[in-house]
Amino acid sequence: MAQATDTTQAAGTTPPGAEDDVKVVGIVCNWCSYAGADGAGTARLKQEFEMRLLRVPCTGRIDPLFAIKAFEKGADGVLISGCHPGDCHYSEGNYYARRKFELLDRMLPFLGVEPDRFKYTWVSASEGARWQKVVNEFVTKVKALGPREGRAL
Amino acid sequence: MSDRQAKIRELAAAALSEGRVDYFIGWKQGFNPSEVIPAFVRSADEVDELVWNPLAHHNLTTFLKRKMPDPPNARIGVCVKGCDSRTLVALLQEELVDKERIYVVGVPCDGIVNRRRIEKEFPDEVVDISFAGDTVTAVTRAGDSMEFAKGDLLFDHCNTCRYPNPFYADDLAADPVPEPEDRTPMWGSIEEFEALSPAEKDAKLAEAFETCIRCFACIHACPVCVCWDQCVNRSRRPALVGQRVDTKENLMFQMVHMFHVAGRCPSCGACDRACPVEIPLYLLHRKMNKELYDMLGFEPGVSLEEKPAFQTFKLDDPFGEH
Repeated sequence: MAQATDTTQAAGTTPPGAEDDVKVVGIVCNWCSYAGADGAGTARLKQEFEMRLLRVPCTGRIDPLFAIKAFEKGADGVLISGCHPGDCHYSEGNYYARRKFELLDRMLPFLGVEPDRFKYTWVSASEGARWQKVVNEFVTKVKALGPREGRAL
Repeated sequence: MSDRQAKIRELAAAALSEGRVDYFIGWKQGFNPSEVIPAFVRSADEVDELVWNPLAHHNLTTFLKRKMPDPPNARIGVCVKGCDSRTLVALLQEELVDKERIYVVGVPCDGIVNRRRIEKEFPDEVVDISFAGDTVTAVTRAGDSMEFAKGDLLFDHCNTCRYPNPFYADDLAADPVPEPEDRTPMWGSIEEFEALSPAEKDAKLAEAFETCIRCFACIHACPVCVCWDQCVNRSRRPALVGQRVDTKENLMFQMVHMFHVAGRCPSCGACDRACPVEIPLYLLHRKMNKELYDMLGFEPGVSLEEKPAFQTFKLDDPFGEH
């Protein structure tokens, strides 16, 4: 177990000594936001490095429970991003998703999670600069709130 | 009250003797007159065990999800109150229940009494609860008795009830009771919890969910939690809920239930009443419905034509960035 912890620290992206050690999970769709993040990386746009990206086929695949599970497992913030409404690769996945995320967004504060710790947004494949802005703003807010220690959810 | 009971028996007897249903689900007295439990009546001779009184809290539509295939192509008679009929409508919206195979007796309802509130007044076991007008008399095994006003004992969702008459029924057991003109939902006691700080909410939830024994009573009692026999809560892959027993996993367990019934749950409170450790599940489900109403003006189970909120969408849903 100790060994596993050591490995994680060695492989972690946070430099040693960083005080605001927060973990942020980004769940992004393959077709827009992941490509947007890729574009931001290729263009060497500097981003906060606390973000861990998970790629899914479509935001329609994202169950609100994914975000809840992430919080339960110790994430300090969850960002969900996909294609803009109307641009879904599968035509309508993000329309269904939008309703689910909106409910989640409204329920999380009731479950003791600060509103700034969750955000859902849309970033297209060509919007690398927008991705940079979204990530930096979101992670900065989560950092301001700090890590969630000993929370039920 | 007894008029409705007599009418339920009459309708059930007629349906059974004419062979319109294979069995009829209603309420009957439990071990003693202080409790009412679900009843399965299979012949017209047995209908006299059916009762109706303000202890009949069970939402019997939950049996439809389990009993539809038993026996194959069973035709089932079922009693519903106003709130129960909304769950039935939610099931019909998704065609999870075959309309042709059910016979629904609607019971206009004056509110259901929370038996737990009576129990808490006595150190001893309550063995008899009787109703006379608006007075409720409870007697314990030791012979102590106490009188209550019925209005003080009603469930939270009865106090805020907007649909006392069944929404969907083939026959009614009584004339409809007066309905509120203003059908705008009331949200009961959730404001108090909403006003707490995130840390306070978290502490309250942790306290409540620490005691959860994951007995699945909430899920089994829930009429709209329909994949109850394939529940992801029981699954190891995907491992959404872990095997570990602690507050976090218990809360996750309930989140699975809550988000899976979103858009179909009219917050009938069956989960809350079924919970043996009294976790305030109603609070969570009520909040969910409040947000759905704010988001979409949507109320689950009030229209047969409508689709559940999460099985449809509008291009111009009024939220999110565009």
